[in-house]
This record gives sequence, C-alpha cells and structure tokens, in this order.
Amino acid sequence: MWWGGRGQSFNIAPQKEEPEMGSVQESRMPEHRSRQPSSCLASRCLPGEQILAWAPGLRKGLEPELSGTLICTNFRVTFQPCGWQQNEVRWLGGLSRVQLLRPGSLLKFIPEEIMIHGRDFRLLRVGFEAGGLEPQAFQVTMAIVQARAQSNPAQPYSGITLSKAGQASGSRKPPVPLMETAEDWETERKKQAARGWRVSTVNERFDVATSLPRYFWVPNRILDSEVRRAFGHFHQGRGPRLSWHHPGGSDLLRCGGFYTASDPNKEDIRAVESMLQAGHSDVVLVDTMDELPSLADVQLAHLRLRALCLPDSSVAEDKWLSALEGTRWLDYIRACLRKASDISVLVTSRVRSVILQERGDRDLNGLLSSLVQLLSAPEARTLFGFQSLVQREWVAAGHPFLTRLGGTGASEEAPVFLLFLDCVWQLLQQFPADFEFSEFFLLALHDSVRVPDTLTFLRNTPWERGKQSGQLNSYTQVYTPGYSQPPAGNSFNLQLSVWDWDLRYSNAQILQFQNPGYDPEHCPDSWLPRPQPSFMIPGPPSSVWLFSRGALTPLNQLCPWRDSPSLLAVSSRWLPRPAISSESLADQEWGLPSHWGACPLPPGLLLPGYLGPQIRFWRRCYLRGRPEVQMGLSAPTISGLQDELSHLQELLRKWTPRISPEVHSKKRDPHTILNPTEIVGILKGRAEGDLG
Amino acid sequence: MLGKGVVRRGRRTKGPKPSFVSYEIHTNEKEVTEKEVTLHLLPGEQLLCEASTVLKYVQEDSCQHGVYGRLVCTDFKIAFLGDDESALDNDETQFKNKVVGENDITLHCVDQIYGVFDEKKKTLFGQLKKYPEKLIIHCKDLRVFQFCLRYTKEEEVKRIVSGIIHHTQAPKLLKRLFLFSYATAAQNNTVTDPKNHTIMFDTLKDWCWELERTKGNMKYKAVSVNEGYKVCERLPAYFVVPTPLPEENVHRFQGHGIPIWCWSCHNGSALLKMSALPKEQDDGILQIQKSFLDGVYKTIHRPPYEIVKTEDLSSNFLSLQEIQTAYSKFKQLFLIDNSTEFWDTDIKWFSLLESSSWLDIIRRCLKKAIEITECMEAQNMNVLLLEENASDLCCLISSLVQLMMDPHCRTRIGFQSLIQKEWVMGGHCFLDRCNHLRQNDKEEVPVFLLFLDCVWQLVHQHPPAFEFTETYLTVLSDSLYIPIFSTFFFNSPHQKDTNMHQRQLSLPLTQSKSSPKRGFFREETDHLIKNLLGKRISKLINSSDELQDNFREFYDSWHSKPTDYHGLLLPHIEGPEIKVWAQRYLRWIPEAQILGGSRVATMSKLLEMIEEVQSLQEKIDERHHSQQAPQAEAPCLLRNSARLSSLFPFALLQRHSSKPVLPTSGWKALGDEDDLAKREDEFVDLGDV
Repeated sequence: MWWGGRGQSFNIAPQKEEPEMGSVQESRMPEHRSRQPSSCLASRCLPGEQILAWAPGLRKGLEPELSGTLICTNFRVTFQPCGWQQNEVRWLGGLSRVQLLRPGSLLKFIPEEIMIHGRDFRLLRVGFEAGGLEPQAFQVTMAIVQARAQSNPAQPYSGITLSKAGQASGSRKPPVPLMETAEDWETERKKQAARGWRVSTVNERFDVATSLPRYFWVPNRILDSEVRRAFGHFHQGRGPRLSWHHPGGSDLLRCGGFYTASDPNKEDIRAVESMLQAGHSDVVLVDTMDELPSLADVQLAHLRLRALCLPDSSVAEDKWLSALEGTRWLDYIRACLRKASDISVLVTSRVRSVILQERGDRDLNGLLSSLVQLLSAPEARTLFGFQSLVQREWVAAGHPFLTRLGGTGASEEAPVFLLFLDCVWQLLQQFPADFEFSEFFLLALHDSVRVPDTLTFLRNTPWERGKQSGQLNSYTQVYTPGYSQPPAGNSFNLQLSVWDWDLRYSNAQILQFQNPGYDPEHCPDSWLPRPQPSFMIPGPPSSVWLFSRGALTPLNQLCPWRDSPSLLAVSSRWLPRPAISSESLADQEWGLPSHWGACPLPPGLLLPGYLGPQIRFWRRCYLRGRPEVQMGLSAPTISGLQDELSHLQELLRKWTPRISPEVHSKKRDPHTILNPTEIVGILKGRAEGDLG
Repeated sequence: MLGKGVVRRGRRTKGPKPSFVSYEIHTNEKEVTEKEVTLHLLPGEQLLCEASTVLKYVQEDSCQHGVYGRLVCTDFKIAFLGDDESALDNDETQFKNKVVGENDITLHCVDQIYGVFDEKKKTLFGQLKKYPEKLIIHCKDLRVFQFCLRYTKEEEVKRIVSGIIHHTQAPKLLKRLFLFSYATAAQNNTVTDPKNHTIMFDTLKDWCWELERTKGNMKYKAVSVNEGYKVCERLPAYFVVPTPLPEENVHRFQGHGIPIWCWSCHNGSALLKMSALPKEQDDGILQIQKSFLDGVYKTIHRPPYEIVKTEDLSSNFLSLQEIQTAYSKFKQLFLIDNSTEFWDTDIKWFSLLESSSWLDIIRRCLKKAIEITECMEAQNMNVLLLEENASDLCCLISSLVQLMMDPHCRTRIGFQSLIQKEWVMGGHCFLDRCNHLRQNDKEEVPVFLLFLDCVWQLVHQHPPAFEFTETYLTVLSDSLYIPIFSTFFFNSPHQKDTNMHQRQLSLPLTQSKSSPKRGFFREETDHLIKNLLGKRISKLINSSDELQDNFREFYDSWHSKPTDYHGLLLPHIEGPEIKVWAQRYLRWIPEAQILGGSRVATMSKLLEMIEEVQSLQEKIDERHHSQQAPQAEAPCLLRNSARLSSLFPFALLQRHSSKPVLPTSGWKALGDEDDLAKREDEFVDLGDV
C-alpha cells in the first residue's frame, strides 16, 4: 500500500546519507515504553542481518507522529512503529553511503533527534525519548555512524540474496535474460531479426575490453580477428557493436571514440569502416556528447535538485519555479529527449546505419540508445522489454554504476542512470497508454540502484560482475538457518539480479508495476513488412553524414586516421545551431509531425514533446521526503481505472462458469489485477461466443 | 487535396523566400466561386466587409506556408474562408464548435491587432495612413492569426483593415452589441430540462431554495427590497441578509455597508460580503457612517450569530492592477508569432513564468480561500468579505470558498448556479472587466479568468471530486467572448434587465445560458465535458472535532488525511503544485502537441473501459430478464481515432492549417534509391561542401 499512500504506508528512507545529528527540536515523550524490542524485532530481521543498536523514539514529520523503535543493523536503519502489525519487510537500504555531516561533533552533545537524509530524497526524522538522555539514543547514533564507516560499498549484503536463492532451488531462471551467455545474445538477435549480424565470442575472456560484455553483435562477415584488431583502435577497446536492429532495416550502433593516437593499417581501417557501415549505403555518425550535458553537469544538477527537494529546503514558494529551472535538471532531460527523438527519426525514416559515438561509450550512449529504442520499438515498452533493455544497454554494456552512483567515492559520480529514469518517466507521462509498466515500477527501479542486495548496480563492468558472482560463496560469513550450500559450479543460477523483484517486494506490490492504462492495441506486433536491404553492399557507403546540432553535415570519410583528424575531435560545440533548428528533424524528414491527419508517423514511433511546459517535474520521486507533499500523490485517473477494473472483474466472476477453459487459464487468481487487455480480450471472446 | 474537381496551378512561387513558399492558387475565377465556401451567418449577423486572395499563414517560420481564401468581417466575427475548406473530412466535423469555426474570431475575442510594414511590426489602431502587408491578430483565447495582404487588391485591403480595426478597437455602445441583434433575430427554441436546471437566482424562490439547501434559513432571510432596482442598481433584485437587519438599513447607503449573505456552512457559520461605504471627507458624514456600521455590526455580532471575522480584500490582498499586469505578462508567453522566437524563450520557461507572477497570484487566491475556510470550518466563525464594490475579489474568494466547502458546487449544475449567484447576480462587471465595449482599457482585468484558473488547479489536483473536466472550464472561458450568450455581457443584473426589457426582447438567453455546453458542442462530446470520474455527490462535509488555531495546522492536517471527495476539499499550494493550465494556454501551439499522448490517452482508455462495463452490464441484464433488447452498439467517440493528440479536442481546429505532409512517402519509398537521393537534397545544407 505504498502507492502514493498516506501516513505510515510511506516507505521510510531507505538510504542514509549525511545523518545530521543535532538537537533540533525538543523531543516529546512517547507513551510507548517498550524495553524489550530485540525479541520481537529479531523475527523481522532478514537472514544474516544483525541488530547493532536500537533505541525507542518518535518518528516525526508525519501526521500522526509515530512512536516506535529506531534500529540500526548491519544492513539498514529502520524505524519500526510499535503496534506495526504487517509482516512487511521494510527495505531501508544499506548503510553503504552514510556520510557524517559533522563527524567530529558527535560527542559534544546528546542527540535529541536524529535526521537521516536518504539519497533518494527521503528523510527519516526520529526524536528520542527523554530528550536523548537514555543511553540507547547515543548508542544507536554511534552505531549508525560506525556502520557507515565500516561498510564497504562494493561488498554486497549477501545474506538475503543467498537465502532467497537457496529457497528458490538450483534451477531457477533469471526473470530477464542477463545477457551473460551467448544463448541470450543469440535469442535476442533472433528476436530483433537482425539477419546480417552474429554473436561474437571474441571477448569471452574479457581480453578485448573488460568493460565490454562477453558477447556482442558484429556484422556477419567480419571475422573475430578483424574485430579484435579493429576494436583496438577505439577508446578503451570499445569498438562499434550493434545496439538495436530496427525492424525496418536500419541499425543502431554504438561505439567509443576513435583512438586517435593509434596508427591503423589499411586492413584495419577497412575493417573499422565496414563495421561502422554495417552494410548500409547511408551512414550517419552521431556525436553523442553534442548538445548533451557532461557528466559533471549531470552531477551538479542532481545535487542542486536534491538540495531543492529536501524537506528543509528554504526556497520560497514563489521562487520555486526559478529555483527548479536553476538546477538545469529539466533542461538536461529535455536535451536528452530531443536528441533521442531526432535519432529515432533518423533510424526510422530510412534504412541506414546510425552510429552513436561517445568517447567512453559507457554513459550517454546507453542513455540515448535506450531512449531511442523506447521511442521506436513497442516491445521495449513492455515490462519485460524494458528490463531487458536496461540489462543490455546499461548493465551488460558496462555502465560504471558503482562509480556513477558515488559508490567508490571517486569524483566521477554522475547519476546518468537516474537521468535516464526521469526521461523514461517523462515519456510515460506523455504516452500513458504506450507503456506496460507504471510510474511505480520506475520508482522501484530508482530506489533499487542503492539497495546492496544484488550485483546488478554494484559493479562497474561486466567483468567485475562475473568475477564476483563466481565467488559468491566466499561472501557468506554469517550463518543463516534457511540457507543451504548451493551446488558447486552452479553459481550462474544463483546470481540474482535486480529484476528478481520478489526479493524486495510483495506480490501485491509487484502487481502495481503494471500500468492499467496500457493499451497494446496501439503497439502493432508486426511492423510494416519491409524488404530487408541486400546486406553488405560492396564498396564504400554512398553517403556519410555527421549528425550534430540537429542537422546532417556530409562527411568525407568515416575514420579520422587517413588524412585529417577526426571530425568528432574537432568539436562542433561552438558552432551555432543552424537557423532551421526551430524545426525538428522530424519536420525535415517528413514534413510537420504535428500535422494531425491520418497517421503521418510510422506505427509504433513516439515523438515526445520537449517544450518547456511539457517537461515535468517528477514529484512522486523527488518530493517524497516532504511530508506535506507526499500525501495524496496517487494518480486519480489510475485509481479510477482500478475501480473500473475491479468492477469488470466482478462482472467477470459472474460469468466464470461460462468461460471456456483456455480463457479461464489466463484468468489467474481472481484477486489479481488483470491486465486490461486480457479482460477486454476475454470479454470480446465471450461476446463473440454468445453471438455465435 | 487534389482530385476535388478544382483546377489548380500548383507550386507557383511568390513572396520573399521563393524557394520555401509552396502553396496553391486558384486561377480560374469561375470555378472558384462555384466551389467557394459559403459564409455561415448567425441569425441577425451582417456582413460588413470582405477581401479576397488573402493568404493565411500557417505559422510564421522560416518556411511560409499558407492557405488562400477570403477574409470577412461581420458584426459578429472576423472569418477566414479557406479555398479548400471542403477538404475537411466528416470524421472531424463532429468536434466543431457550432458557433465559432476554426478560422473565426469573434470581435470580442480580438485582443491586439498588429500590422507588418516592411518587416516591422506595429500595433494598429485608429485611422491608418498606410496599410500593412501583413495583419497579425492576437486573440483573447490566445490564438494568433497571420494574414498576408500582399496579393489582395488595394481597395479591399483598405476596406478590410479599417473595417476590422474599427469594429474591434473603437469604443462601442452597449446597444450595438451583437447580442441584441442576435436575440431579436433568433427564435427562442431552447428547451431546458427542468431537472438539470441551473439556478439563475433571479427570483425570490431561488434564494429561498438556496437558503434551505444550506440550512441558512434560520438566521438569514431573502429580501425583495430591491425589486425593480428601487434601492440600488448594483445589487440584484433579490438577495439575502441577516434576519434581524431592518430593511431601511438597506436603503440608507444604497446597499453599501450591508452584510449580504453568500453561503452557510453546515456548522452554521456563514460567508457574508459587504461593499464598503463611500469614502467621505466630511467628519459629520463619517460619524454617521460609523454609527451606522456599529449598528450593523451589533446585529450580526449578537447571538445566534457566530463571531465575525472581517476580511478586507481591497486593502491587504491583491490589487486589480497586479492581476492585470501579471496576466498581460503571462499571456505573452503563449502568444507566439514566430516559432524561432518561441524556441529562444523556451529555455527560460520557468523563470519567465515565475516573473509573470500569475501563478503566484493564483496561489495567493487559493491561500486566502483556505484561510477563510479554516475560520468557518474549524473555528466556527462567520467571515465578512469587504471590498469597495464587493464585485471583484469578493466574487472570486467567496466562490472558491464555496467550491472547497460545498460539494454541490462541484457538480456541473452546482457550479453554474454558483457562477450565476456569485458572479452574475453578485454584480461582477463583465462588460468592463472583459472590455467588451473597448471603452476603457484600464478596467480590463481578467478576474473571472483568474477564478477559472484557480478552479482548474482544484480540478487538476482532485479530478474525482468534480463532475466537470478541464475541457468544460476551457470552453467556459471561451464563452466569455462569444456575444450570443447574455451571461457575460453585462455589468449588473440591472443593466441586463433594463437593456433586454427596453428592447422588448423575448429573452431567449436567460435560461441556463451560462452553460455553453448545452447545444454548444454537439452531443457527442458531452461525455468529454462531464467528468467521468465525478461521483454522485451527496454526503455532507465531515465535521472536524478539533478546533485548530491556524491556517498551517488546518492545511497540514487536512492533507495528511485521506481525501473525502464529497467533503471539504483543499488544494495544494506549495511551489511545485500550482501549474499552468496547459489545455487553455497551449492548445493553439502546434509544437506543444504530443501525438497520441498525454492525459487524453488515459481518458480514451477510461472511456473504453466504461463502455465495456456498460455493455457487459447490459448483457447481464439481458440474461437476467431473458429479454431481447435490440442493442445498438453505442458509438464510442474515441474508439476510431485511437491515437488522439494531447491537444484534443482543440487541436482539431488547428489541423487544417498544417503544412503539407509527406506522410508515407518516407516510409514506403525507402528502397527507392533515386528517390532517396532526391530527397536528401531537400534537407541537407550543402553550403559547406
């Protein structure tokens, strides 16, 4: 019941950061005087979780104030209200990122109230009993600080993972292909009908690049030895790989920057060129960094946004909008959407090879290529499709999650993935009927980037991830009763990913991931049949373009090495956008998309709006910490739909005896919320049956 | 477009940037006249002047596309009749406004007229020495029209430009309003359903009924002292005052200084309003005024009346001047002549929005209304609103309070009755505030629009609490400028009655005309305007037990409880919560359109679901009664057009004016290499090669 619920149903701060100890307010005396929490609390602990300290306290900032117990374990800080009946695991996240705001000042006073700022924009405020004079208050505060100091972010909390995995027995299949085996890649390739491509095993031992996945797609006719040599001429060995094959025939590729210092021979250049060309006569090279924020920009914007959204932010109401604008966060979202929309037009409007090129190829390339797929491929907008998209374009492609989310404490922190999630949320807002998942799913994903229970977001490269999951056993230091030794050599099955949602959420909550407004009728299963172009057109491409500043410029050659330095190296940043920029690329390619007539756009393609008023602020994510705002955030239309759905179900139940077996099998539990389309399908089936 | 039987010579190029201009011209005059779209005139409407071969720009852009046609000015509207108007297909005509077409601008809707002389834009007014080559019309509903007069005969340009300027900008007499010619000519054939009847508050019975409904009849009485406007022309013929108030008090200062009842809360506290006594220098008169007021206050301070809190809206609240300035800044954000300009400002959207302070004004209004609600609901006090004439901010605040406290006002009928009671009978000077007569620009203040925007915030935040949707509000705001409804064209009920009676009209417009919905859109769109989620509103407000002392506590505690849509309803007023009424302000901007997206998509899904539920219900009923009910499939409005744009239903009006599309050519002809090469030349800038 945490879908925009009220009061206690709000999930308390999962992640701690900057616990600010201070005698901020007089603490009130709670009536509850439990002195033996350990016994009752122990039962709520996760396997392997140890209670480090606890103290009775009073949760503040919400109406009504709750009395209960503040507990610090080796995994989380949790506040358990007394009389809390639900046997609900409250995932409050790991201690990995706690930072003490004033580390030295701790001993100087007795805390009356502790405020814990979560990195996910939440705030836990607990006042202690008796003005903090009880020794427990001091102990728990110290424990939180110490736990933060000791915990190693790179080391996942494995108790829960293992115990759950143990329960699930050896032969479980990951809910989403983890793209760690050649079969996964082959399956996905077939699904995309990318006939000119094959799975390359050249990086099986991670010796081409540790940041690349074991397997990736390269053109059919390129030999592995050529791949190996060609990749050496790219920054960090990240050569051009297929990201997505458009059903219409175009290919979306991604690669790192050209390694300008290298001196490739003719053969290598030919290999590189034909990999980029991918058999198309029309090649567009996209400078990913062009017009998009730098990593430092993203980080700064996110910090500012967090400062703005914290419950104690002091921005006046009438200055809120300009403060929001000042964070530039929405501006960056807009830039990403605009660029992604342009690229999806490029990919869709004609058969060509579109190459996303970013120097590192690990951040904005992933963002853009995922967004392009969301915009142009209806399959990517399903729950399964989206999860595999993230797994493929972010996790397997080697987005350095740990560094970007600040896990290593390095300066390269930049929440690119969170920026991506916000972009997806914007799309969800603009096209509520086109996505199978709900805002709630995005929130869950947003929160899980910091929960240290799976390796998905805790490693920088596929190589590290693979290494760790192989050694998973060695992390089991704690005896857990429910845990049985996994069969040796079967560690693959044991590897849990963030997509195993049942680790964290109850079934009822997982059901909320479904968007009731999803209308797959909008998403044709089959694309317009298009003749596959004759693959591998011999000879050089007939046209090579550089896409930058919203316009295409002809390029003389693809690779920079032959005569002149790379055109990408000569940044186009200072070039003004051409005057025509007011017209989006879609206008240029098709005439105005805003024309209202009969489907001017290819089916399945979404063109997002990116005007100032259309980019919205994700309140339900960023303002969760504000008690006064967090109330009543549930979307009324959605709940209205839910009402309708339950109404329909009631009607369905009346019909149950008449439902034919195969329809019945789809019906699942009567208490589950049915996918609306299924209902409609069932109803239509019934109606036709009746008529016939 | 082709194959319509009209001979056209395609692709003739004229104009400043010949390479970009692509339009079609009629050359065969005869056939044109045959095919010419007829101008639809309303009863009583007269054609004043016209000009042919006017080019209406689709968008002022680097590319200038346009449609040729006739520009016409009548005594009701300016209309543009495109030459290929007939190209509209039937599918979309069902959304057409019955009175005002896509290219029609009622004279009252015109805000500013600009002329372009040698690329320079100037405001046009008065007598012109030189006639512009381009005419830009900004409308009050934020449409922007651009007409090129370069190809029009000089005579016609003179006639049409001066005609338009005269009829829209020059001061006008009240009796010259189109309203009267329409009322004379039109037959009164409005049939009102007695059940769905908006209360007009023009009879004593209506007021008594309202008193009874709110249980205010114990302490307040409806009086007919102003019957025939004997006492005061500002006040309605009937109104409600505290029971012990002697009627001669009303006579004393022509109704000034009299507490007039607006609404009673379930706990007995009431909302009152009072217009201030005239300001006097003379000490003697001041003394008299003081003792008079003391007497009045004594009456209403004594039990059974609750303690009275006085809210002076004219001194320490918003000024009309502020509202006017804010709105004129705010609307500039949406009046887009030129999309390049638009993109330049787009980046600063939020700070521009903030600097207009329109949203802040909305917040202050909502906040004031919450404060008053708190006094009445939590502290059980009477609140007396005080304003100079009690006809601007008084109307706004008291309507908002009632909307928040009284669920009846959140039904469509209830809302219309509320507008009728507080605004029309409350003597809001619509004529002056909308500047319908163009007599004084300073008086033009969009107070009613501000109210609608406040209501929109409430509707947007709590859609299930309202029977109507934002579309209803948008349509209502448009009807301010359509002079066939008498509702919004008078300064007071007295003015309306005298004018309408003098001319011995059969008042066709008095009944339920504040409902533009009725017979205004065709029936198919009815259920769009009615909120689908609006639930039957029956319960009364839950009384809160605790007496709370201040606004913040009241506000916080309300928001921390589950919302009862049938009870007290408070808006969120924090910074991020006050939003732009996108449907009203953005609907004419093609760039703002999201194809197949936005709330409309959710809405169509909802409609679909409801339809399913209904058909299932019918089927079940059928089985139960084992009867054969011939079941015609209810036509679903949105079913056929599964992907509507976010600007629906208004975007349709824009549809026609878009650029020519190459819809499928890019899609189908992909394999065709020759075609590819050709089209690449069109869009690639080869300047550098």
